[in-house]
Amino acid sequence: MKDVIDVMELQREKSRRVQTLDYRQLDFASGFTPARFIFECGIKLHAQPLTIASATILMHRFFKEVDPTNYDCYLIAASTLYLAGKVKDDSLKIRDIINVAHNTLHRGSSPLEIGDEYWNMRDAIVQAELLIMRILKFEVSIVHPHKYMLHYLRSMEGWIGKDKWNSIPIARTAASFLQDYHHDSTILDYAPQHIAIACISLALQCYGIRLPLIEDNEDEAWYTMFAKDLQKDKHWEIMEKMMEVYNKEPESA
Amino acid sequence: MSQRYEKIEFLGEGQFATVYKAKDKDTDNIVAVKKIKAGSKIEAQDGINRTALREIKILQELNHKNCLVLLDVFSQGSMSNVSLVFDFMDTDLEVIIKDNTIILTTANIKSYTIQTLQGLEYLHLNWILHRDLKPNNLLVNAAGLLKIADFGLAKLYGSPNRINTHQVVTRWYRSPELLFGAKQYGACVDMWALGCIVAELLLRLPFLPGESDLDQLTKIFQVFGNPTEQNWPAVKTLSDYVEFKPYPPVPLKNIFIAAGDDLLDVLGALLVLNPLKRKNCSEALQMPFFSNKPAPTVSNKLPLPQSIKKIKDLERPSLKRKLLNSAEGGNLSKRLFF
Repeated sequence: MKDVIDVMELQREKSRRVQTLDYRQLDFASGFTPARFIFECGIKLHAQPLTIASATILMHRFFKEVDPTNYDCYLIAASTLYLAGKVKDDSLKIRDIINVAHNTLHRGSSPLEIGDEYWNMRDAIVQAELLIMRILKFEVSIVHPHKYMLHYLRSMEGWIGKDKWNSIPIARTAASFLQDYHHDSTILDYAPQHIAIACISLALQCYGIRLPLIEDNEDEAWYTMFAKDLQKDKHWEIMEKMMEVYNKEPESA
Repeated sequence: MSQRYEKIEFLGEGQFATVYKAKDKDTDNIVAVKKIKAGSKIEAQDGINRTALREIKILQELNHKNCLVLLDVFSQGSMSNVSLVFDFMDTDLEVIIKDNTIILTTANIKSYTIQTLQGLEYLHLNWILHRDLKPNNLLVNAAGLLKIADFGLAKLYGSPNRINTHQVVTRWYRSPELLFGAKQYGACVDMWALGCIVAELLLRLPFLPGESDLDQLTKIFQVFGNPTEQNWPAVKTLSDYVEFKPYPPVPLKNIFIAAGDDLLDVLGALLVLNPLKRKNCSEALQMPFFSNKPAPTVSNKLPLPQSIKKIKDLERPSLKRKLLNSAEGGNLSKRLFF
């Protein structure tokens, strides 16, 4: 019975993925929409996953400091993607970003001719880049949860046992949760180590995995050895925030 | 310049930036402001300079007494120009090496080498390659404190799938694997450069002043002999590898006639053709040279160029301190003697 439900869920997700969003109809949604835009453009540009993650973090940080109604969130999104490319040494060319962003906003339109509109967009992205840098006080270094998650997962591989580990896609699921959580600006509120653990926890819950040789009790949980400072209620809070992300996704165009 | 920083004088100009001496009006400290050039109109259309951004990103994560730390960043105007603010440093190792009035004793060389090694060890432990070490980038202040500067080419390393460019490091300090076109390399490129700098402290002239990349390799092999499958396995697989006419290695003792054996050991451990055989900073710091006598000169006793010494003396108004200094003896008579 469980398998059937899973398959149907997958199907539904697939059909949802095919449908494209009309960003011009969407509102800011506390950063969800521009983050979604960054992911779509970033993937089309073949940007590295960490570059895209950095862009969303820079975007969330920027909108935390300013009044979002004063800025075009797609311009800021395109500009953070450009900036993240520089920060991560993942060279994204500005012309490619302009073409991809333009086509994603105006689906089916032809690439921009080199003309006033193109040059205006280019100027806008470059100026927004400097504005973002200034608002962020030139602090563009980001400590990502990814590296922590990788090490936690590596340690757990032996803990759970190779056979079980290979039969259940915990790492893959945790990585998906982590990527999706970048849509939400609350990602700025938690330590990267804690986010990494919450992603893994959520994945373990989904597949009903209990770690061997450890009893969860009041003051100890499986993750205590990775992060001593993570409280139970904080841990639940992050997982709830992660699940909420999925309610924010617009149903269709 | 900016509301906060008052320009005092022009200090120098590099490929990417202009440097000014300035006063921080908030703290009254003297600082160095490095203004990144906006570049041509085409470059300005690409926004913030990648080199500057890389430098800012790496500098913000650094905190070590032998690394030049970033105090502030600012930008003004609508052009993408960015300025970096650093502690003001009076001179650099290149000036000190070229200054004929300065005698560099073994204790002095030991002090500079230790300071550089400690700064570099910190960088490498944090997975940062400097990639442009040369005397000119080792700044020294009037208190004799050495700081590694110019992180415009610095880069995070250690990622196995990352391809690096081999067009780094000023040629004279470039390691043989870079000259052979290696795209994947590690901290050893900085170790080679450091070896060349220590050699330059001894010779008071650039050790391997190649006039082209091929001439650079020739100069290297004339001293260390040609690489072979034995001392450097797989050297022939490097993309730009070329066969050179055979040279026999020359003992370092014959080149650095004034250097002690323990110092020659340090040179011999850094200047190794095979990058994997070069010692790293932590290993080098454990070598006998650094704990043998003479002890490294304490920072404020290190020799400084005349121009700075004069300023330093002027800034010493207290008679008491002057008396104390002459009571300590040493300093003054030594200067007269030389």
